[in-house]
Amino acid sequence: MEYLRKFTSQIRSRLFIILVIDNLVFLADWWLTEQVFHLSGLHLLLALIIVPLLALTILPWLSARYLAQPTKLIAQAILHIAPNADSATPAPNLESNHFAKELVASLTHQVYQLATIADQTDKIGLNKSSMGANTIANSLPLPLIILDAAQAIIFANEAACKYLGTTLTDLVGKNIYSVLDMSFPSENTFDTWFKDAKANTVTATHSWERVKLAPSEHQPVRLFDLAAYYNKNNPDRMELMLVLFDHTQTYSQDDQAVGFIALSVHELRTPLTLLRGYIEAFEEELAGKLDPQMTDFMFKMSASAQQLAAFVNNILNVARVDDDQLQLQLQEENWGDIVKSAANNMALRARVRNITLEYNIAPDLPTVGVDRVSIHEVLNNIIDNAIKYSGNGNRIRISAYHTKDDMVETTVQDFGVGIAANVVPHLFTKFYRDHANRAQIGGTGLGLYLSKAIVIAHGGTIWVRSKVGEGSIFGFTLLPYSKLADELKNSDNKEIVRGAHGWIKNHSLYRS
Amino acid sequence: MDQPPTITPAAPKTARKVLCIEDEHFISELYTRALTKAGYAVIVEIDGAKGLALAQSNDYDIILLDLMIPTMTGVDVLKNLRDPALTPNFHAKIIITTNLEQRDEVRANIEKQADGYLVKAEITPHELVEFLDRLA
Repeated sequence: MEYLRKFTSQIRSRLFIILVIDNLVFLADWWLTEQVFHLSGLHLLLALIIVPLLALTILPWLSARYLAQPTKLIAQAILHIAPNADSATPAPNLESNHFAKELVASLTHQVYQLATIADQTDKIGLNKSSMGANTIANSLPLPLIILDAAQAIIFANEAACKYLGTTLTDLVGKNIYSVLDMSFPSENTFDTWFKDAKANTVTATHSWERVKLAPSEHQPVRLFDLAAYYNKNNPDRMELMLVLFDHTQTYSQDDQAVGFIALSVHELRTPLTLLRGYIEAFEEELAGKLDPQMTDFMFKMSASAQQLAAFVNNILNVARVDDDQLQLQLQEENWGDIVKSAANNMALRARVRNITLEYNIAPDLPTVGVDRVSIHEVLNNIIDNAIKYSGNGNRIRISAYHTKDDMVETTVQDFGVGIAANVVPHLFTKFYRDHANRAQIGGTGLGLYLSKAIVIAHGGTIWVRSKVGEGSIFGFTLLPYSKLADELKNSDNKEIVRGAHGWIKNHSLYRS
Repeated sequence: MDQPPTITPAAPKTARKVLCIEDEHFISELYTRALTKAGYAVIVEIDGAKGLALAQSNDYDIILLDLMIPTMTGVDVLKNLRDPALTPNFHAKIIITTNLEQRDEVRANIEKQADGYLVKAEITPHELVEFLDRLA
């Protein structure tokens, strides 16, 4: 068992570390007393006795704990899968021991093999039906599914049937993908691992956290951790074993947080819709009847309402990025058109502050693969920042060009207050705001954080160059559509779905 | 306002009829004002089920459909209108107008069935008119 071996070697290395530290303490004690404090005679003798004595009581106690930790994990893992686990010992799930879940999978695998052996012995001795004796595996409290080399289910224990809201006869023979419609929080999906394991190894173990099971007619959404044990040469056709650790309750609480934010957003948007509607009605009715100052106020009111609407979107999207729910659909778009339409949206805000937006968009730009709505928000946020931090600067230059390494780069340059060098590295951090300008300039510190997540999900990068007093230049790159098209060819999907830290579908689902 | 009684060249015929299913009175009031000014004929309905019945009369060119409405949700109204067995020969364009925020996959699913999806807080009444004008 690979994982038990790992634990043994862990204990061995821990023991080694402890012995080295122990010896170092003695050495340090002698060195300090004689060489540094120049103690001699009785003092030296006392120091050489008392310090090691302390070292011999406290240090062993600490070391014992340190040594026992892996063993505790094993014990916990065994208790977790024990049939009479009424006390419901949780699965070992320490972050420092990320393979603890894989250990449970391995242990379960051993238990299952024992069950099969017991089954066969039973058949020889008592000539029972083959179903009956899988009771050992059946009494495991964890959902357990076994697949053959064709990815068809050959066994699922009672816990698994209950978890999936179906029966064993219904499951057996079915392809795993038709039963488990899973999504993963990163590109590291079960399917990519499985393909890799099949191609490159004989045995492999892996685990995933926060796997989402799409709702079926039998069951609502489920969230769980998944562990898999792969063995190519298993004599009983059992090529793959899956163990599920349900965490629906814990994980769905995060979902509820997003639900709460979504509800608040709805409540904020309704008065905002009205505000914007009434301002527009006033603008229309009072056009030409107001003095220049009142007209100016009207513009400012309108620009502020617009800004508030954008801010509400930002809050919502940050919540989604944090909860892996922001999904991007990349499609072929003309980049010049998108930049101009985003800049047009910002024109009113720029005008209120007497800032001119200048454009320098290369005419021969290749089309890009972007999610229209999200990439608009990136442009909005960056242009909005440029406006806010323009100070006395009265122009903002927006450029887009094709780079040598075949990317489409967009930059937004202001000639305003600039950003201090020590602040620059923190700019893309959530809730970070430039302290020097905090008092004068409003904001939440969410815009750049969100922009970065969105740009990265598009396959690009975001950067900034700035000098205090001279202004800043923010830039980001995007992939030309032709590059993404290659990716498109390899999937049966008509569009490319990306998560901004978001859920990735297990790609095999798209196989027919 | 005085209207010249003589020259109204077939205006009522070409005026597109809009059914606005929206329970927030102030919003429908603003939309009605802007749309009427632009030459649209607007009928407002607050209730989902009644809105569906009106839409099924096939008397409208455009349906503005809010999602959070009483007695029947906008999504159900949409489903009914898109089901040829329940609503035969339906020809109107359906534009979702909502402030509700959905999971992306839910929104994509609604968008697929509608002819447009607008977040009300992001557009002014005038921008709504422009959107409908572009809608062939």
